[in-house]
Amino acid sequence: MAEVIQNKKLKTLQVNPIKLSQPMGATLAFLGVDGCMPLMHGGQGCASFTKVYFTRHYSEPIALQTTAVTDVTAILDGGDYSIVEAVKNIHKKVTPELIGLYTTGLPETKGDDIQGVASKIDCPLVYVNTADYEGGLESGWARTCKALIAQLTRARDDIDDSKIALLPHVSLQPLEVEKIRDFVEAFGFRMVAVPDLATALDGHLGEKQAALSSGGVTVAEIADLASSSIVISVGASMLESAQTLLNKNPFIRHWHFPHLNGLIAADELVKKLLDETGFSAPPAPIERWRKRLQDAMLDSHFSLGQTRFLVAGEPDHLAGLSASLYEAGGKIAVAVASVDSPQLSCIKADKVLVGDLEDAASLAMEYDLVLGNFHCEMLAHKLGKAAITRGFPNWEQIGNQLKNDVLYEGGAYFLFECANTATYFRELQGHKPEQTA
Amino acid sequence: MSSKPNIKELLIETSCAHNANKKNACNAPTPGATSGGCAFEGAQISLFPYADAVHLVHGPMTCLGASWETRATQTSWKGRDFTQMGFTTDVNINDVIFSGEKKLTGAIRYIVDLYAPEAVFVYSTCVTALIGDDIDLICKQSADKYAIPFVPVHAPGFVGSKNLGSRLGGEAVLRHLIGTKEPDDVTPFDINLIGEYNVTGDMWQYTHLLEELGIRVLASLSGDGRISAIRTAHRAKLNVIVCAKSLVSLTRKMQEKYSIPWISLSFYGKRDTSDGLMAIATALADPELMRRTRELVEREEARLEERLQPYREIFSGKKAVLNTGGNKSWSIAAALQDLGLEVVGTSVRKATEDDRVKAREYLGADGVLMLNPGAEQAKLIDEKGAHLLLAGGRSLYTAIKKGIAFIDVNQEKKKSYGGYTGLLNLAEDVKNALENPVFSLAGRSAPWQK
Repeated sequence: MAEVIQNKKLKTLQVNPIKLSQPMGATLAFLGVDGCMPLMHGGQGCASFTKVYFTRHYSEPIALQTTAVTDVTAILDGGDYSIVEAVKNIHKKVTPELIGLYTTGLPETKGDDIQGVASKIDCPLVYVNTADYEGGLESGWARTCKALIAQLTRARDDIDDSKIALLPHVSLQPLEVEKIRDFVEAFGFRMVAVPDLATALDGHLGEKQAALSSGGVTVAEIADLASSSIVISVGASMLESAQTLLNKNPFIRHWHFPHLNGLIAADELVKKLLDETGFSAPPAPIERWRKRLQDAMLDSHFSLGQTRFLVAGEPDHLAGLSASLYEAGGKIAVAVASVDSPQLSCIKADKVLVGDLEDAASLAMEYDLVLGNFHCEMLAHKLGKAAITRGFPNWEQIGNQLKNDVLYEGGAYFLFECANTATYFRELQGHKPEQTA
Repeated sequence: MSSKPNIKELLIETSCAHNANKKNACNAPTPGATSGGCAFEGAQISLFPYADAVHLVHGPMTCLGASWETRATQTSWKGRDFTQMGFTTDVNINDVIFSGEKKLTGAIRYIVDLYAPEAVFVYSTCVTALIGDDIDLICKQSADKYAIPFVPVHAPGFVGSKNLGSRLGGEAVLRHLIGTKEPDDVTPFDINLIGEYNVTGDMWQYTHLLEELGIRVLASLSGDGRISAIRTAHRAKLNVIVCAKSLVSLTRKMQEKYSIPWISLSFYGKRDTSDGLMAIATALADPELMRRTRELVEREEARLEERLQPYREIFSGKKAVLNTGGNKSWSIAAALQDLGLEVVGTSVRKATEDDRVKAREYLGADGVLMLNPGAEQAKLIDEKGAHLLLAGGRSLYTAIKKGIAFIDVNQEKKKSYGGYTGLLNLAEDVKNALENPVFSLAGRSAPWQK
């Protein structure tokens, strides 16, 4: 197991960061609630940057508003004016099922009491503190998920045996959430995901102007979440949210998965589902996909076995992608995480560090293929490496919402893509005149 | 002395036509009903294209994390392209409590040691402005210590809009760079390009024409710009503002301080490009230059006309509706007209007074200037029988419902529409959109729909 390297003493800045902020994660989480208006409490730029960022990533309009704190209100207002005014102005145009109120660094610095303000607002609202000088994308999403459950879910002591709650980490793309749900529901359960981007940002053509989020888990479903028999959390960042739900009903059981990528993780999920249902085997399509994944692992092992990877991104995402590659012999030379996390010590990599793409570039001799976001692709281009784009943002390619790397099916496609990219790149390298000499 | 600019003064720019009747030009944003970027983004837009300078953002992660490497501003700078890199102090809770100045100083030392930039711009942001980190002092001390220019940029997001931020960016350049160095030589035809950011290489569509005419771009703010050049900008004979109202304050002050006259123009479409070239020659007031420019314009127009001919046949009788903001409300309209399309309506909701006058001028008496395009554009398409909608992504569904072609004008551009040659790119895109069956197919009803 690799030691996790923190580079902070030598370097008091980020150069070419992969880290993203908490309010950005909170934005996405609220977009996974149906009919929600995410309301970012801060200067107008935070919301504007975030809106453009996700619009470009998903090629979809993004619903998002701002309390538009100015230099004057920053000093004179404790949040009361700008938040109450924002809620009033939002209602002039739309009637959201929920307002998702969350902070940025500016109001946190001056110490706005958003809980106090929230208590004065007479409409469905969930508040959460997500200063952007703490945490990152994962924690912003996770804190919001926790707030949704803490503030909306009713405590109860009855259980619906057929119902399972899913708490996915932020880096799972809409189709991945849908695939996990389909997988579990094939065993006869009904699954509710919180947040649920699968029906919200999955890129379906709808008659919409993005005034509010459309699709996603409903407020009523979150309110009833505590009747789930089991809560499945995926990613270390989601453990606290799961605990919050467990506190709502003493009879809920908890299954935690660090990730759902690769053969072993999918097997673990199937094992639990078989135990739970008493089935002797999974439904036929799942069995079929498992065999395809096994075959994919064998078909791709030759290419992956000679490829050294740099993976960069959010900790929960890194854990999953690395595990999937590792199973087919991919060598994770360097894993660069945006922020620290307990996940990092479990990643099977030669080097694991919390850092930025400058750190990644300084280790360029150690890897052949770069697996990470849009900025990583640019890095790979400059360094003359192969690249596969995953994570936020991907501004270069379309179709991000339909990428699927999880469980047996997604894992098979993922391994093929990595192996093919690596092979193609080696062939290109091989044809360079200076190397054939 | 603080280098903080007088924000109030920048808000009431007398050279802006729309401020003639107002005491306060730019109103505070409305909570819950605001879109558009902040002052920091504006400063970033106007200054980041300096590729030979490092742009260090002193703030928490949203400011830079969400925004670096987002703009395709191109440079011919042979060194490392710092525009496409992201530098931020990423302040944490400790910095918020105990000040982020030490971190900033450390970051500056790191940057100078490792990257040896020509200059460093240090941007304050909401959080670091609020906790009172003294970026002026740190910049001054750093400039003394490292002997390169350090420019404090006071455009934290909460002071206002993107537009104000661009002005604050211009202000920082005026205070800390312009006039700090003398050029090696001067010519009678030295100009500065102001507000041209060279997105997708826009300026390279016309700079070769300037060169051919003997007009030298002395300095640029900031497309393909160099720090050493902008420091000498006070010796130019003319400031040319390219499609950027926000930097009028800068050129007015340069006129007051250095007696440099300024003109404002656009290089979008055939007519604007020709008019722009002529305007520069006229302002430089040299009869021989004006004659050369007339000849060049005639030659280029004839050359373009020939290449546009096949498109004109396709576009003849085609009608377009335009829904965008600012100067694009008329500049794209003009370019479309140059291609032979009829522009039946354009949105002026987010346009200034100047822009509205221009839009009316280009569209003529029958053209519709939409004040509420969201509600008006669908009706207008029906009434006028339009074939093409050019708008932001949100309007896509309107086009699909009407079964007409759509072009996303706000999408991050990948190729230039500027100058004479850029018009051919636009023509090709319009042609492809008009011929694409997707707009009628996407709206097709499903077999099970009645």
